[in-house]
Amino acid sequence: MTTQSSVEIGTEWGIVSARQAGRELSKGLGFSSVDQARITTAISELARNIYLYTKNGVIGLEVVNDGHRQGIIITARDQGPGIENLRDVMVDGYSTSGGLGAGLPGVKRLMDEFDIQSNPGEGTLITTTKWLR
Amino acid sequence: MHSSVVDFIYQNKDIYIKKWRSTLDELDLNIYHSSISNEIIEETKAEFIDLVFGTLYTGEGEVAARFRRFADRLIYYHIPLSEFIRSLQLLRRVIMHDLEEQSTKEQYDRYNVDLEDWLDENINKLVDEFSNARENTVNLQNTALKELSAPLIPVFDKICVMPLVGTVDTERAKQIMESLLDGIIQHRAQVVLIDITGVPVVDTMVAHHIIKASQAVQLVGAECILVGIRPEIAQTIVNLGIDLSKIITKSTLQKGVYTALQMTRREIITLDEQRSTEV
Amino acid sequence: MRIPILKLGNYLLISIQVELDDQTALLFQEDLLNKIHQEGSQGIVIDLTSVDMIDSYIAKVIGDVVEMSNLMGAKVVLTGIQPAVAITLVEMGVSLNGVQTALDLEQGLEKLQQELEG
Repeated sequence: MTTQSSVEIGTEWGIVSARQAGRELSKGLGFSSVDQARITTAISELARNIYLYTKNGVIGLEVVNDGHRQGIIITARDQGPGIENLRDVMVDGYSTSGGLGAGLPGVKRLMDEFDIQSNPGEGTLITTTKWLR
Repeated sequence: MHSSVVDFIYQNKDIYIKKWRSTLDELDLNIYHSSISNEIIEETKAEFIDLVFGTLYTGEGEVAARFRRFADRLIYYHIPLSEFIRSLQLLRRVIMHDLEEQSTKEQYDRYNVDLEDWLDENINKLVDEFSNARENTVNLQNTALKELSAPLIPVFDKICVMPLVGTVDTERAKQIMESLLDGIIQHRAQVVLIDITGVPVVDTMVAHHIIKASQAVQLVGAECILVGIRPEIAQTIVNLGIDLSKIITKSTLQKGVYTALQMTRREIITLDEQRSTEV
Repeated sequence: MRIPILKLGNYLLISIQVELDDQTALLFQEDLLNKIHQEGSQGIVIDLTSVDMIDSYIAKVIGDVVEMSNLMGAKVVLTGIQPAVAITLVEMGVSLNGVQTALDLEQGLEKLQQELEG
């Protein structure tokens, strides 16, 4: 059984509602306060990327169970320009927006699993998972 | 399903128990711990025989519970599972030999399949329960390790010490960080001394965790002093090119405590002079 | 939504009690700098006890506020950063370099006093 929800990121308020949804879900699953902070921060970073670079996209939240443990999968999907330099965006300090450049590599460190698929012109799909310890 | 062969074994139970018993006696169950007494070895063998033949006539639930108890016993006494599996294979050979003599070719083939099923089921249950029990033990040990891992000890008002003992891996570093920060809030500490006297190796990974921890400590509003830096640790840190310049470091806990007192605007004064004038 | 800024002698006290969205954060930056200008404040305590998440963007806004206030001659102490928030920031690789911190409002005020009054 899986619980799914998705939040449209079209305005800045989408960022807030996405992370609120993540906080509720992770709290309900019994994640520790530190893991809750990790998950909401990751959602915030992903949602902000959508807002900053593509204006339109969806953050999806899903509860998974691999038979041994429960987890939460966050997906960030957009139809934006895509990322040309995948390798660069995973380097600390790389930023085209004037931010801290901690976004994607930061998300990767906060979560347990991280996958990014992107082709120029076809949008981006990021999937990242946190397991309940 | 395998009632025919089961009946056969059940009828000749006493003979097989005896035969099997002698093969079991040839097994070396004491390869890991010479400290196990013969009494326990004998008990274990008897329990095993009971267990395996018990599957012929006891219900499913009862059997599972008995396999679990037996697996726990093996783990408790460090008795190798492989020897018991080997003994089951020997048992099969003995029974097959008898069956071959006493039955037609057709019967024998059917018996053969039934016997395999029965023994395989026993082996599967044994292995399953054994690995479950193993896993439980490992989990328990992990929990025990976590509990003793990193206490934060208040030594003066506003000053706490966290002695680290043993290897610091990523998982443990996360726990250390959490208990460090929670402790700082709880004790309202302004300075926390991390004592690495008991950490055998400080490599780039460990240093990285320590740097991260001290950054987090600063964010919640306290300061971090790294103490217990032995000469060889100082050497490795420099040789590996690790930059600890942003962290206050001291060779001993004692020196660290003095620094911590200074940082919180206090000092230790000796009362000797006063006392001698009073007397 | 505006974050209230309280005046206490030479100091300004801010306790952030709301979910920090980008707009609120930027508005706060502007309000605080105006207030420093108006009041000629020397010290500022920003209390983050109720904040349960700081992502890299909000961290940057806060870091900027501190730097801008320093430029205007006001010292800033951040207080009450929660352990979970501190851990997340450090794991993200966000370091608020050169930013003063204290455990809570009380220690934050003490710290300002020590620095400003010697």
